[in-house]
Amino acid sequence: MSVIDLITRVDSICRKFDKYDVDKQAELNVSGDDAFARLYAVVEAELDSTIEKAESVASAKNRAAVVAINAEIRRTKARLLDEIPKLQRLAMKKVRGLSREELEARSDLVSALKDRIASVPDGTTTAAQPSSNGGASASTGIKFNSNYDGSFDSDYFQNTEETDRFRQEYEMRKMKQSAQDEGLDVIAEGLDTLKDMAHDMNEELERQVPLVDEIDEKVDKASSDLRNTNVRLKDTVNQLRSSRNFCIDIILLCLVLGIAAYLYNVLK
Amino acid sequence: MSSDPDKLVAKADKLTKLTLTRWSADWRNATLNYEQAANAYRVAKKYEKSKDAFEKASKGQEMLSSPWDAAKHMESAAALAKELGNWNEVADLYRRASELYVECGRAQPASDALGKAARVVEDHLPDVAVQLYTDAISLLEEDDKDQMAFDLYRALTAVHIKLEKYTDAAAALLRLGLAADKSNATNSQFKAYLGAIIVYLYAHDVKAAEKCYNDCSQIPAFLGSDQGRCGSRLISAYSEGAVEEIKRLAQSSTISHLDHAIIKLGRKLPTGEVTAVKAGTEEGEGLDENDLT
Repeated sequence: MSVIDLITRVDSICRKFDKYDVDKQAELNVSGDDAFARLYAVVEAELDSTIEKAESVASAKNRAAVVAINAEIRRTKARLLDEIPKLQRLAMKKVRGLSREELEARSDLVSALKDRIASVPDGTTTAAQPSSNGGASASTGIKFNSNYDGSFDSDYFQNTEETDRFRQEYEMRKMKQSAQDEGLDVIAEGLDTLKDMAHDMNEELERQVPLVDEIDEKVDKASSDLRNTNVRLKDTVNQLRSSRNFCIDIILLCLVLGIAAYLYNVLK
Repeated sequence: MSSDPDKLVAKADKLTKLTLTRWSADWRNATLNYEQAANAYRVAKKYEKSKDAFEKASKGQEMLSSPWDAAKHMESAAALAKELGNWNEVADLYRRASELYVECGRAQPASDALGKAARVVEDHLPDVAVQLYTDAISLLEEDDKDQMAFDLYRALTAVHIKLEKYTDAAAALLRLGLAADKSNATNSQFKAYLGAIIVYLYAHDVKAAEKCYNDCSQIPAFLGSDQGRCGSRLISAYSEGAVEEIKRLAQSSTISHLDHAIIKLGRKLPTGEVTAVKAGTEEGEGLDENDLT
């Protein structure tokens, strides 16, 4: 029995026993003409499901799942908080057949609901891990602390030829340095792009591996089927071509030709 | 065999109607006729009639209990409905095709059908497209084929961004991250997280962006990755109010590797006032000094 069959059967069974579902019946019995009650029921149901999700966060071991669920919870909370003012306005409206105390109780209900929504834990209280180490070293970059501004006090030493040459070389290198830096930047960007492309290729290949395996299996099955069929075909054709049938064919052919020749002679 | 499609359709209809002389419909011949008629109409560019013929052919294949062929015919009918421009009908036909594929037990073509439908209607009926994308994604996830869902997630995010529903777009990106995590595609996962942070910053919701970054930092690999560092630099630049830094980061190569729609958002950063956050932190310090308990 395949999954699809299971699903259809379960569906039909559920439908048959729907009338015994107490919760569903209670839902259907909520009076249709009371907009406040309807909206309140909807908001409450969504709040319950959000709380369930929040509880599942505590048990979820996968951190990425935690992240995704927290985002969903936050989004639903924002949406529900938007509905609250609508609910409050509906609560103020006087509905036929409702006593005064119930009307006041409704506004209390709405504010209680608002508190409940705001109190749903959505993982905002957990502070970030101290990431300052990585951040600080990366953000400041590498700085060369060179305070040389090109002027040496000539009182302190004599300029020999060598020091002159050194100083000239140093100044030339400083000019070329900015060009070098730009070159290095270009190389860095190129490497970044390469790295990203390599990662994507890696993921794509990993995605294709199970697909290729499937193709391999199917092709194997198809080729073995084909070989099987070929062998059976060969046997059948051989049977048809057996010498006995062949001789019978020749004899019958000669008979037919003989009859035709006889008729030809008769009619001539 | 008459090649006039009208005659074919009429003959096929007669074959399927039950009368006194005919006690069971001859679906095989009828389906054959419908298919031929549909192809003839398509060549003659009579899209409306071709679509109807394909729908009837699909029903015929269903009666012959071959849901695969039925689904294929439904898809052809939907493609013709696209030519006609009935967007609602396109969505319905593709949905029906997808259900038939699910009956065959093949989730991949089912999700493909929904994806095609969503792509077709996303310009005209974006909400329907959102629903179609979500259904396509859930079909794949139920079948444990998360990796195929990445493209669908990206398309869904693009639709949300177009509709300017930034929280929904960020949520979709975080779900992409979750799917990537399940299939160990760390690069896509981190790119998705960085994308979510940028979407929040573009909507000028710095608090949400910070919360998002904190959440994602729970995953240690993200902290040390390129994308994580870029995210933390963005957040700190925002909290310091350094507009130049933000602009420089937005041009950096890390952001250029993200999805198209997100690159466009990133280039437009920063939106609105960035210096406001600085004032908030100063206020906090003032309270601490006065609070001696």
